[in-house]
Amino acid sequence: MPAGAGAKKLLLLAGVGLAVLMLVGFIFGAIGSAMFGTDQFLEKPEIHLSPQPVYPASTRNESLHLDDHTVELYSEAREQGKEKEEAAEEAGIHFEPLSASKFAVTNTLISAWFATIVIILFFVLGSRKRSIVPGRLQAVIEFLYEGVLGFCSSVLGPEMARRAFPVIATIFFFVLFNAWLALLPIYQFVGFVFDGEIKAHFLKSAGTDLNMPLALALISFVFVEYYGLRAHGLGYFKKFFAFGKLLRGKPSGLIDVFVGFLEGVSELVRVVSFTFRLFGNMTAGEILVIMITFLVPFVATQFVFGLELLVGLIQAVIFASLTVVFLSVAIRHEEH
Amino acid sequence: MIAIESSIAGLISHLAGAIPLLGITDLGINGPSLIAYLINFVLLLGILTLFAYKPLLRVLDQRSERIRESLEAADRAREEAAGSQQVIEDQLNEARREGQRLLEQAREAAARFQEEQMDQARRDAETFVERARSDIQRERDAAVQEVRANFGDLAITAAERVIRRSLDRQAHEELISQVLEEGEQASAGPRA
Repeated sequence: MPAGAGAKKLLLLAGVGLAVLMLVGFIFGAIGSAMFGTDQFLEKPEIHLSPQPVYPASTRNESLHLDDHTVELYSEAREQGKEKEEAAEEAGIHFEPLSASKFAVTNTLISAWFATIVIILFFVLGSRKRSIVPGRLQAVIEFLYEGVLGFCSSVLGPEMARRAFPVIATIFFFVLFNAWLALLPIYQFVGFVFDGEIKAHFLKSAGTDLNMPLALALISFVFVEYYGLRAHGLGYFKKFFAFGKLLRGKPSGLIDVFVGFLEGVSELVRVVSFTFRLFGNMTAGEILVIMITFLVPFVATQFVFGLELLVGLIQAVIFASLTVVFLSVAIRHEEH
Repeated sequence: MIAIESSIAGLISHLAGAIPLLGITDLGINGPSLIAYLINFVLLLGILTLFAYKPLLRVLDQRSERIRESLEAADRAREEAAGSQQVIEDQLNEARREGQRLLEQAREAAARFQEEQMDQARRDAETFVERARSDIQRERDAAVQEVRANFGDLAITAAERVIRRSLDRQAHEELISQVLEEGEQASAGPRA
């Protein structure tokens, strides 16, 4: 970067360029086309809450209702000069989510595998040398480790933090990498095309698939309850089934029973809240990116990307730290 | 019976259709996917634990161990340095004391020497004075002896003259003073 006046000039030029690009995006985006009648740069995006099956191909076509019959109806409708949307509707081509028990490789699952591979490459390569004096990558990874380990230690104490670290760190990095990798443009423009339109994306942010947050929530739940049981033995269940006082004939024991019931409910509700918090945030982020890109195709998206980077980090921190906190509550010995 | 069942099923499906939000498949809940995610996570956890977390945490431990050790070593070295500083200080103090002692000794020796020299000088002076005094005594004795010897002659000479002259009173006195003068001159003579 040149120094002084040159740098300022360059910065100014870049600013003007970006502003022009944004203006062009505005004019050829959805808002501009509605105001000035310009041709839209992008077609109206289709938004699905559920993941789309991509493999095997037969399942994909089935979920999209693409078969010989519908395709024929569609092309007939197109020949009659109908718009794509109308023709698809007439032919009955529409997306239907996978039924709850049917297996298929969904685009979210592929993106989760992608994230998994990236994480493994990043961490295994980064910790391959294991030198006392770290290189750059190792230093970054150590920084991340020490961040997670430090937080765990501050809540759980050093010994328990060491035991909990792998699960907490994996949750954190899995959520983080899934959220951040989903901002890559490849998620938006690679897919299975029918008549010039992407009917099913090859990749879709794994966080937007309810199953992924649910799986993490279940793991977090099992992890917490396991250590709770280990710390208290079978007495751990007394927290939920507090009949002790009532059986001794004290009527106030009813309160304990009720509190125990509430404890149990709150424990289970955590799974739901974990799931929908992550799912909601990731889905909202994806929709926001898609909608802003549709409304103003250039430059404006960058701000949303910045926001989504932050949201991804926050969600990863929340998921990991809530697990830590719940764990600390579960293993805590109550003073009587 | 069958009619009732089918009507119930119809009602349920009608209700489900009326409340589309309740269709959990619309959100994408899918058993096999869930299992796939679980397996995926457990695999990721296992791989990371084996190949990333454990080795690198060990490195971190080693490093903190190393840092602790070098800090301790530094402390030890500092203590040692402080110790040797003390030793040097002690030696210096010792040397200083030794020097002081030597100086004191030298000063004492000098004082003693001076005293001895003074005594010697005094003794020498006394000896010298003694000798001078005895010399004077001797000289005086010799002079008195000589005077005494000369005075006898003088008295005889004076008596001769007295006899030779008339014995008037005035002549008598003149004679005596003459003799005395001569006697004085005679006794003063060898002394001068």
